[in-house]
Amino acid sequence: MNRRIALRHLALISGGLVLIPSCDFSSDDILAAYQNLKVTASQKSLLGVISDTIIPAGEIKGALNLEVPDFILVMVNDCFTKDNQEKFTAGLASFPVYVQETAGKMFESLSTKEKEELILTGTKLEGDDTAEGKARGNISYFLNSTKRLTIQGYMASEYIQTEIIPYSLIPGEYNGAVLITDLQKPHING
Amino acid sequence: MANLNIRSNQERTYQAIVIGSGISGAWAAKELCDLGVKTLMLERGKNVEHIKDYPTTNMLPYEFEHRGQVPQKIKEENPVVSRCYAFREDAMHFFVKDTEHPYVQEKPFDWIRGYQVGGKSLLWARQVQRWSDFDFEGPARDGFAVDWPIRYKDIEKWYSHVEKFAGVSGNKDGLATLPDGEFLPGYELNVVEKYFAEQLKKNYGNDRHLISARCAHINGNLDFFAQQGRAKCQNRNLCQRGCPFGGYFSSNSSTIPWALKTGNLTLRPDAVVHSIIYDEEKEKATGVRIVDRLTKETEEFYAEVIFLNAAALNSNLILMNSTSNRFPNGLGNDSGVLGKFVAFHNYRAGVSAEYEGHSEYTTSGGRPTSGYFPRFRNVYKQETDFLRGYAAGFSAGRGVRTNSEGIGMELKNNLLNPSEYGPWYVGSHMMGETIPKESNYVALDPNLKDEWGIPQLKINVEYDDNDEKMIKDYIEQMSEMFTKAGFTNIRTRDDKRAPGLDIHEMGGVRMGKDPKTSMLNGNHQLHAVPNVYVTDGASMTSTSTQNPSLTYMAFAARAAHHAVAESKK
Repeated sequence: MNRRIALRHLALISGGLVLIPSCDFSSDDILAAYQNLKVTASQKSLLGVISDTIIPAGEIKGALNLEVPDFILVMVNDCFTKDNQEKFTAGLASFPVYVQETAGKMFESLSTKEKEELILTGTKLEGDDTAEGKARGNISYFLNSTKRLTIQGYMASEYIQTEIIPYSLIPGEYNGAVLITDLQKPHING
Repeated sequence: MANLNIRSNQERTYQAIVIGSGISGAWAAKELCDLGVKTLMLERGKNVEHIKDYPTTNMLPYEFEHRGQVPQKIKEENPVVSRCYAFREDAMHFFVKDTEHPYVQEKPFDWIRGYQVGGKSLLWARQVQRWSDFDFEGPARDGFAVDWPIRYKDIEKWYSHVEKFAGVSGNKDGLATLPDGEFLPGYELNVVEKYFAEQLKKNYGNDRHLISARCAHINGNLDFFAQQGRAKCQNRNLCQRGCPFGGYFSSNSSTIPWALKTGNLTLRPDAVVHSIIYDEEKEKATGVRIVDRLTKETEEFYAEVIFLNAAALNSNLILMNSTSNRFPNGLGNDSGVLGKFVAFHNYRAGVSAEYEGHSEYTTSGGRPTSGYFPRFRNVYKQETDFLRGYAAGFSAGRGVRTNSEGIGMELKNNLLNPSEYGPWYVGSHMMGETIPKESNYVALDPNLKDEWGIPQLKINVEYDDNDEKMIKDYIEQMSEMFTKAGFTNIRTRDDKRAPGLDIHEMGGVRMGKDPKTSMLNGNHQLHAVPNVYVTDGASMTSTSTQNPSLTYMAFAARAAHHAVAESKK
């Protein structure tokens, strides 16, 4: 929440971006909100497309509607070890290259089905000690972390926990022997 | 350090001073105030007012930026407290960070602390099982430590006294090892826990039991608790945040506001106690020297009687730092046992499994407790190759399978429409009695000081052979009980955690009959300085297996009444 407010302020001041001249991303802008990661605006938007593929919008909102990419980057930035942050960002950085090599296109221009298949395959990649193996391992690490955090950020969002599967701070009296057949729907929140 | 004792001595004089506002200190203060004694309660941490200072208490899961997880930087800077199960995003502001009050680990020891008004009573697990004479007679029967100077009959009515006021829910189980108390209606075991209880009866006769653990939660007698401003437990299971209903007992919700209402209590937060002042002419303690947590200024307070309830190891530290010509080795330490014979509870092992039976059932709602498996080893006589025994927590539960297979609409449907129940999961953890030994001790570091100029505590505590044998026995026995009950996929663990993480450290200022081998008499007075009472975990002669807080509360109430009776002599 504090971070969201800070982000909002930052957005007002700088349009959300801090311009960092030169280096590898000369034409791209590194997002200052995730200070432990050198993530660019276009990488965040790619992460948005990936999370939207993992949980797409429909009648019920999807991951992108719920700002899940921001949640993912906050968690990686604040809660991952340095090693894992490096694997994650390396995987994120090499993902476009991997997509080009395997699909011959940019990820954004693939069909939904192609995107899904590519992510599923990517989560199963196995790494080894060679340079290519490390890259594969990083991509797989990046995609699995993204899937896990997408699910977490989505299911533990205000929208899901108020409108779809309401969470209750007060779960009610304990009943230690409820017949499952008497329940309409499994109760997962609270 | 500036010494700004500007106010007159009279202004800084009370009838009693209580050091510490945690579970035992606040009980001492409440009893003293109820008896008309003008009492000053010193607390080293900040004030935490009931409800007002529970910033996370009504936060929803999605309102936590990291959904409960502690950020990596905090974990790396504070490895000790980060190992505590309750150190999570919702309650981490109630724990002492490693960096805030360093100590010296001669051997690994996870010292978990809560420096604020209310202390760890905000954070405790709220399990309150009485001791019996099988516990008090342990050291004498088995030849370790020293004999307790008291027995169950000395403490029984004080257990009742504190249970009635604190609110303890439980069932009359009729077990000799775990005496019944003044109970509000108990919580029920669920269908699989009841099944396990029946299996224990069937397989082990009347030797092994599973009961619903007695817990300090309000589940009845609501008009009585309304006088404390407390209401029925709502089964939120968010206790560590502080409860806006006062549904569980804490100093903050119960004893402190009660004591303040009498008009006899003065609460002084941010008062880091440096030492207890001993007057060599009067041959008694006359006051307490503090260092203000924030300004670092020293100040003295005076009183006829002093209660030391700084939590087990800090009570040791304060006595060791209270030196004088008469007591060069720490206040009341003629025997040389101060700081020694520290013990704890052995929580290292656990056994879990699955159960395919009762698959037509699940549970609903919440409850603030779980199952409790009282000690069965060596109760009536010595029967194993290790001394004493262990109790265990036990609970069964059933979750809905999270199906995170697939991707896209398939995954979304799986997540939003969970339908498949997993098997029942059953889990148990041991709570082993450890044997107090001279070689398990705390001492003052000769060189290192904390930011208030007080020596750092050096901790030298470790497991022994008896503990290792007990872990082995617990794992074998619980696995056998699970197997006989038809549980499957049994998994055992010994997480090798350091002592301290049980948060049941005890001793160092032990009670005993003989001043040559103990610090306190049967009334919790220092043998050599009878106007100083120690009624927290430091006073424990042995540890038993039961969660100790209830016994500290009863000790504090009993000692407070003793002190008032003495003052009238």
